[in-house]
Formats: sequence, C-alpha cells, structure tokens
Amino acid sequence: MATDTRERFDGNADEDVSDGQLLGGVGIDDPRRLIRGASGLLAFLALWHLASLTQPAYVLPSPAAVGVRFVEEAASGTMLDALTSSVRHWIPGTVVGTALGVGAGVALAWSNALDDVTAPLVRVLRPVPPLALIGFAIAWFGINDAGAAFIIAVGAFWINFYAAFGAVEGVSEELLDVGRTLGVDGDLDMIRSIVIPAALPEITTGIRTGLGRCWMLVVAAEIFGVPGIGREILRASNNLLVDKVIAYILVLSLLYLVVDVAFRAVQRRVLVWRA
Amino acid sequence: MAGVNDSPVTDRDGADADAHTTSEVVVDGVGKTYSGESDPVRALEDVSFAVDSGEFVCLVGPSGCGKTTLFRVVAGLTEATDGTVRLGGTPVTGPTTDMGVVFQEYHLFPWLTVEENVGFGLERSGYPAADRGRRVDEMLALVGLSEFRDAYPKSLSGGMKQRVAIARALAVDPALLLMDEPFGAVDAQTREMLQRELLDVWASTGKTVCFVTHDVAEAVTLADRIVVMAADPGRVKSIVDVDVDRPRERDDPAFGDHVARVREMIGAAP
Repeated sequence: MATDTRERFDGNADEDVSDGQLLGGVGIDDPRRLIRGASGLLAFLALWHLASLTQPAYVLPSPAAVGVRFVEEAASGTMLDALTSSVRHWIPGTVVGTALGVGAGVALAWSNALDDVTAPLVRVLRPVPPLALIGFAIAWFGINDAGAAFIIAVGAFWINFYAAFGAVEGVSEELLDVGRTLGVDGDLDMIRSIVIPAALPEITTGIRTGLGRCWMLVVAAEIFGVPGIGREILRASNNLLVDKVIAYILVLSLLYLVVDVAFRAVQRRVLVWRA
Repeated sequence: MAGVNDSPVTDRDGADADAHTTSEVVVDGVGKTYSGESDPVRALEDVSFAVDSGEFVCLVGPSGCGKTTLFRVVAGLTEATDGTVRLGGTPVTGPTTDMGVVFQEYHLFPWLTVEENVGFGLERSGYPAADRGRRVDEMLALVGLSEFRDAYPKSLSGGMKQRVAIARALAVDPALLLMDEPFGAVDAQTREMLQRELLDVWASTGKTVCFVTHDVAEAVTLADRIVVMAADPGRVKSIVDVDVDRPRERDDPAFGDHVARVREMIGAAP
C-alpha cells in the first residue's frame, strides 16, 4: 500500500499553478515574458513620444519631459511630502474600511436575521458613490486626514463587504456538517474554525481589489483640499501642467504596484494550501 | 495495517464485555416528511432496526429510498419527523462526537494539513491535550498515511482523501462509525482496496459501523447484516444476515447467492 500511495501522490501532485496575473507575479523567472513585457512598454513609449511631437506640452508632454519633472519633484521633496500625506489617508482608510467590510460581510452572510434587518439599508447605501459623501466627510471630520480617510474607508468597505458576503455564502454546507459532527459548537466557533478559513481565498481577493481601489480614491478623497498626491494632481491639471499630472499618476501606479506585489506575497503564504 | 488479514471477528478485542448484549444504535420508528412548498414528501416511513456493539451493518436500497436522509437523521444533522435514534441508549438530538461521520465527498478541510485534519476534533471532544499528538500518529498509522502528515488535501488522491476522512472520524474515538457511500467517488480498484482496509480498521478498532451504500456487492463484502430498503416512501424491506466467512471472495458461491438475494429484494437487474 505504501508504494501505491506514493504513486498516487506523485500522480496527483500539485500542478504548479503559474501566475498568469498581470502585475502580481511579474514573470521575472520567465525571460520570454520579461522580454515581451519590456518590448510592449518600449513600443508604448515610442508611440507616446511620436504623438507628443505633434502636440503642445499642455496637451501631451513627451515621456522625457515627464521623466525630468518626476526627478525634479522627487528632488525638491514635494513628492515625498505628498506621498506621506496620502499614505496617512490611505492606511487608516483602507484598514478601517477593510476590517469593517469583511466583518459586516461575514456577519450578514452568516446570519439570516441580521441580513433581513439590514437588507433595506444596504440597498439604499450601496449605490452611493464615496465622493457623494464628501459633505459628510467635511462636516464630521473636517478638511483633514481623517476626512480623506473616511472617503477611502467607504470605498474599501463596500468592496470587502460584497467579497466577504459572497465568500461566506459560498462555503459548502457539507463542510459545516463535517464541523458539527467533529464537535464545532455555536456560531462563533463555526465562523472562526470553518467559515473564515474556507472563505479566505475570496476574502483576500476582495481585500486585494480594495487595496487598488483605495489608491484611486486617494485622488478623489483629496479633492476638497487635503494635501497629498491627489491634490498635487488636481492642482497641476488646473494649471495645465500635464507633465506633473503624469508624474504623480506614475507615483500612484508605483505605489499600487508595490502594495499589490507585497499583498500577493502575503496571500500566497496564507493560502499555501491552495497552491 | 498490512498483515491484519485474519477474520475480523476473532481479532476484535474483548474490552466491552457486555458488547453483544447491548445495541449500540437503535433506530426506532423513524419517519421523515419534507414539507416543501407544494406537496409534502414522505422520505422515510417507520424505519426501525438496531446495530449491535461492534457490528458492521450496511444499509442498501435503490436511489430515492431515503438512505441519505436516514444517514443524516442518525448523524443528528437532520431532525426526524417521527421516532427516535438512540446511540448507546441516549437519544440523538444533534451532531455528537460520539459518532464518527464519513461523507461520500470526503469534505476534508482544504486549509489544514493531513495531520491537522485528523486532529481537528480532538480538542473539541475533550481528548486530553497531552495525548493528542500520539493519537494523530496512531490514526495516521492506522490508515497508512504517516508519511503524508504535512501534505494538504489538494495533493492527495481520492482514495487517500477518504483514508484521511476515516482517520479524522475515528480520531475522537467515537462509539459508532457512520458512513454515507464513502467509496462512491473513487475508481473500482481503489474502492476494493479501501473496502479491505476498512475491514482491517474495523477489526483492529472493534468499532460499530453503519455504512450506507447503493452497491449490493459492497454491502455483501463488508456487512454482518444488511438492512435492505425500499423506496416511496423509504422504508425497511428486509434485514439480511450475511453468513459468509471472511475474508469474503467474490467468486465464492455463497457470496453470489447473497448478492442475488439482496438484488432481488431491491428489484435491481441481476
């Protein structure tokens, strides 16, 4: 039997699921993918450069001009200031919104009674875009970091709420039955030892989507004058400094990339059983 | 686990002196009606039988005879409309760790390793903390998976998953091992191997086993007695003693006779 199991084990051993995601697993170990990616980027820059020759700088600056502006902003310290401010909105907004969203999603998906009670409220609040709440942000928190964080938290909340809700609804009834026969007793025990672990793949996908979405909301949340990358972008575009706009968009992209790659690394560790 | 090929009956240890004087499981007048939106469906009608301590009983019947409903009622996962199920004299009112339950589709916890799956119920069933590690080792050895303790279920074959599920169910040392078509999802060759292994496990642990299957040959291979069910509504048609010496060979005429008899009762084609 030992040989038999060994054979079966090998036969069914994990097919190494390669990471087909765009940004997450930059295919560093696959030179072909790396070359293709690099050539795509170069072709894009070339086209951009050619297009910029036909347009004034306030419509489309050249890639080189953007690069110069990027270095200037970085060297002057303006970029770092904006970055720190934005991170001060992004981190609390994302953390609070994600935690509340996952918590509410799990609770409402698990408890029919809670779901029934809150369903009308959820229907009414769900379609409200976070930006529509700027008035509340100012009234409740003021034009400051907390106000911007509030807007970001609202965005993070809904993404995570729906991801967690769907994930928990998708947990198989049979798995819960197995838990019951093995002595899992009560809602909290069930949620902690079966529901959350089983729902974790989808929950973490929701968190990851939320992380990206929150960077977008940083721009929007700073619309009412709180310092940060968003405000730099808005001011620059009001002054037709398109090269600066693009330079700060690049900052956002890079931040997103760093956060996303880091989160995916965490996700892979937590979900090692799925590999 | 290899080498335990003697007759299971003689192998069972005599720890329970009064084992054969008490019925471990008593199913008494169990009925189940599903009241849906339209017509209520009578899934089970007055089902009664008993399983002695240490006995291996199979439930067979055509599809729609309520086997799985009965399994769920015995497991305490579904409430009966009428009648009671008693385990060791105590009415079953809900799931209990006194029963080890094995499902057809294994339902291992994919986020836990083999070792963690097997150990899952130990803490909750009040198994002494100091003995838990040893107990898991023992169970893994019993099903021959000691070297896969750190593997995740995803990397296991169907047969191995079901071995883990059996080890997980047995780890809490239940009075009854209750199984619902546990070998229905694996290929024929693996199924025969698992059947032999289950008999070995039964022999070495002396557990009472209640095993639901639609496969008559499987029931005759495994059971001391077979509860034959009929459909519409699900009920007990007959209870058949399997008087064939173990280990049972399929080409033994007595084996064939039993299979034919049970099939005839069910009304399945021979």
